[in-house]
Amino acid sequence: MDSMGGNFQFKYSVMWESIPVLMTGVKLTILITFFGLIFGFLLGSAAGLGKTSRNIFINKLAGVYIESVRGTPLMVQVMFLYFGLPLALGMRVPPLTAGVTAIAVNAGAYIAEIVRGAIQSIDKGQVEAGRSIGLTHFQALIYIIWPQAFKRMIPPLGNQFIISLKDTSLLVVIGVGELTRQGQEIIAVNFRAFEVWLTVAVIYLAMTMVISRMLNTLEKKLEIAA
Amino acid sequence: MIRIEGLHKSFGPLEVLKGIDLHIRSGEVVVIIGPSGSGKSTLLRCINLLEDISSGTVIVDGLNLKDKDTDINFIRTEVGMVFQQFNLFPHMTAMENVTLGPIKVRKMPKKKAKKLGLELLRKVDLEDKAHVYPDQLSGGQKQRVAIARSLALTPKAMLFDEPTSALDPELVGEVLEVMKALVVDGMTMVVVSHEMGFAREVAQRVIFMDEGLIVEENTPENIFSNPQNERTRSFLGKVL
Ligand SMILES: Nc1ncnc2c1ncn2[C@@H]1O[C@H](COP(=O)(O)OP(=O)(O)O)[C@@H](O)[C@H]1O
Ligand SMILES: [Mg+2]
Repeated sequence: MDSMGGNFQFKYSVMWESIPVLMTGVKLTILITFFGLIFGFLLGSAAGLGKTSRNIFINKLAGVYIESVRGTPLMVQVMFLYFGLPLALGMRVPPLTAGVTAIAVNAGAYIAEIVRGAIQSIDKGQVEAGRSIGLTHFQALIYIIWPQAFKRMIPPLGNQFIISLKDTSLLVVIGVGELTRQGQEIIAVNFRAFEVWLTVAVIYLAMTMVISRMLNTLEKKLEIAA
Repeated sequence: MIRIEGLHKSFGPLEVLKGIDLHIRSGEVVVIIGPSGSGKSTLLRCINLLEDISSGTVIVDGLNLKDKDTDINFIRTEVGMVFQQFNLFPHMTAMENVTLGPIKVRKMPKKKAKKLGLELLRKVDLEDKAHVYPDQLSGGQKQRVAIARSLALTPKAMLFDEPTSALDPELVGEVLEVMKALVVDGMTMVVVSHEMGFAREVAQRVIFMDEGLIVEENTPENIFSNPQNERTRSFLGKVL
């Protein structure tokens, strides 16, 4: 334990040297986040619309999905998908697939609530005006409700995107070589926990900041277009 | 054109329309008045099925709204609706608001729809606002765009639910002018409004509703100067 005391010396060079390896992790982190969020958004939109549906079966189904994901830890979901489910299915799932699926399923539940909230926040008169000019329910949704609701979804979606990006670090438990995993592996060799975790943290921060900038820009663009 | 018989409408235990009989001829202009909560909006909303009918019949242009074969979306294009709160689509320009129906419902080519849109915006005197979004328009301008949006489906009848109630007094006139122009065109119109001047000028009939029933109906002169029913009298006393 005394190795943790007094003789700590910050080594700047360790940070630089770890970057190439960490970048291979960044690539995977971005890949998983990107596909996880695309599928998560589709899943979330479907479930969110499901929650606004008057069809009881669809409504309940969406509700069960949202509740069970939100009521269980992501770590457990990841391990269930990777270690548990293959036993039942009788086939192995590659860690990357399991990782993307976990992020998608998890984000989807939170996105569903965002979608539902945004849709329900649109004035009822909008659908009525749409229907009064002869649009079908589906057309009213596509041309009138969704574009207005989508604008309101952007800030909370941005928040969820950032959360999901950070959540990919939990995939370390199934051995996906994303950023956190790469950090762990570097430290296993050089024992420079301070410098490496600091570098890893800074990289996560940079990525989340990029996401929030991108969403700010998108929000401004949509504001200008009405 | 519109034939309503024994129309009842309840929201859960609350019976809002308690047996309405009303025939509206083609080209007729009918103004409905009555205290708040008497069921005027609900009656209009039953005519284009924004509310489903609890019992009774509503026949629009020969089509029974209760028939399974009746295409509700088609009925709604036959009967335009103008709302108190305008309900313009805020993410679309005036032109896009007007042409959405023709393009998506009538499958009209965009070019043709634009031409129609421009024509209609000219009709409501807003040609110069074609590419403006609703939040840049005054209340009166919004309501005129909303009227143009309904007209774009070439309806056979138009329903107006207190079209000027949400407007500043100085903007009421411009909307009424547009409505009067429709009367001149021969449009069948059912108008819920307490604009007595408008009723006097263009309505063939004024209907007084109270508590879910038609209490009295007559020509504007007769109903305003010589109301027969006590409730009509007391209501007019408050409004006029
Ligand atoms: N969707 C609804 N659910 C429950 N009650 C309603 C609904 N719409 C209207 N009502 C009730 O029906 C009655 C008549 O309303 P409405 O037709 O809007 O009256 P008016 O337009 O004459 O003011 C009111 O008591 C109102 O509260
Ligand atoms: Mg009303």
